[in-house]
Amino acid sequence: MNVGRTFLIVGAAIGLACASAIVVVAIAKLRRGRVAARSRAMLAPYRHSLITMVSGEDDDGQAREALSAVSAPIWVRLRPSVVAFLPKVRGLPADNLGELMRAHGEIDEATRRLTSRSAVRRARAAYLLGLVRDPASAALVLPLLSDHVADVRLVAARALGTIGDPAAASGILDALRTQNGQIGLPAWVAAEALLAMGPGIGPVLQIGLASKDPAVRNVCAKVGGHGTYLSTVPQLRVLLATDSDGDVRVSSAVALGRVGGAHDAAILLRHTDASEPTVLRRTCATALGDLGQHESLEALAGLLADDDRRLAERAADSLVRIGPEGIVQLEMAATTGQGLSAQAAGGALEVAGLRGQLAHIAMGS
Amino acid sequence: MTETVKTRIVVADDDLDILDLVVFKLNQAGFDTVAVTDGVAALAAIEAEPTRLAILDIMMPGLSGLDVLRNLRANEATKGLDVILLTARARDADVDTGFATGANDYVIKPFSPRELLHRVNAVLARGDR
Repeated sequence: MNVGRTFLIVGAAIGLACASAIVVVAIAKLRRGRVAARSRAMLAPYRHSLITMVSGEDDDGQAREALSAVSAPIWVRLRPSVVAFLPKVRGLPADNLGELMRAHGEIDEATRRLTSRSAVRRARAAYLLGLVRDPASAALVLPLLSDHVADVRLVAARALGTIGDPAAASGILDALRTQNGQIGLPAWVAAEALLAMGPGIGPVLQIGLASKDPAVRNVCAKVGGHGTYLSTVPQLRVLLATDSDGDVRVSSAVALGRVGGAHDAAILLRHTDASEPTVLRRTCATALGDLGQHESLEALAGLLADDDRRLAERAADSLVRIGPEGIVQLEMAATTGQGLSAQAAGGALEVAGLRGQLAHIAMGS
Repeated sequence: MTETVKTRIVVADDDLDILDLVVFKLNQAGFDTVAVTDGVAALAAIEAEPTRLAILDIMMPGLSGLDVLRNLRANEATKGLDVILLTARARDADVDTGFATGANDYVIKPFSPRELLHRVNAVLARGDR
């Protein structure tokens, strides 16, 4: 009897607790909804001005003027909307947003916070200056590339990429090195930042390709290929042939596939030789497809019978990408070739057919 | 008095900032716009009334912009509709996929609203030729 009553009391208590939790959550949601609705209503007139300015329709500057003049309490509520637009637009609207931030003291505040004792504040300040994309901020953010906190260095590198001033390129390359116990920037972060800086970084890449540090050479080779920096081609050829670091050779092969010329087909083919490291052979086979030179057709067809089946697959895929003449090579190998060769060619033709590449080629030829 | 019929454009983006911005810009330029926040609603809006152009974000809940585009191209009634993809996906492979799927143009975010308007006019002019 007592046990039954205890169960009843415990059950009732749990039920009551659950009901209370549901009520609390519902009230919190309701309150949050009301606050958001009130905030939206309060910002509605400013939202129109903001959209007018960001759309580039603010020819007389009235919208920007009105937004620059809002009181501090309104700005606190409006600020997130302004910051949210910064990474979404470019050109004059982005410049206007930056000027609006400046008018409300945000740029000065962020500049002060770059030297804050708090790593979070330093990182947030660099992030904001990056979003505003004012070239004058690059010199201010640059010292954070040697910040003692790795996350701050990473945010600073991204911010410099977003700002896009090529003057910061050598700073990014320096930050790749592990020095004073601080691990260097991740290669992909540095590469993305450099790529965002545009054609002005060509001379810095050339210096980087001659660096003693393989991490720097590797990033410069990647950027040289992805960013189509033709001035790097002579150095890429040398690095592919002679570099002591395997990753640098692979990155140079990829880059040559993207930016090299007819002359580079023979160079890439040389490095598909069985005496070369497997990863380099495979990379060169793919790079030959990127390069798209007819000079490599026969040699690629020869690779279809290679013992490394991944290499054979890549050679077959490159033949497809070279176009109708590559397809002819594959069809010949599929019908008249021996075991492995016919297998690789048949597989590539089947995949190309599924992707619709064969119909496209047939129509184009 | 004759009433000019405005060109109808459907704009689909789950980012309300972008949606408000694009719709405002197009309305200012004299277009009739319909704003939706997902791919399913975009298809419904396009099929509901004669539409001249759709501006589609790629990453949307439900149907992606590419899924919407595939649906449009597979449907006899909508296969000729002009489509501009407006997206943050900026890799070469993404752009290739967009055009291969049948987009008439591809605009990468961050974008210039003025440039987007020029591209809308260019795509519409090509279609009128």
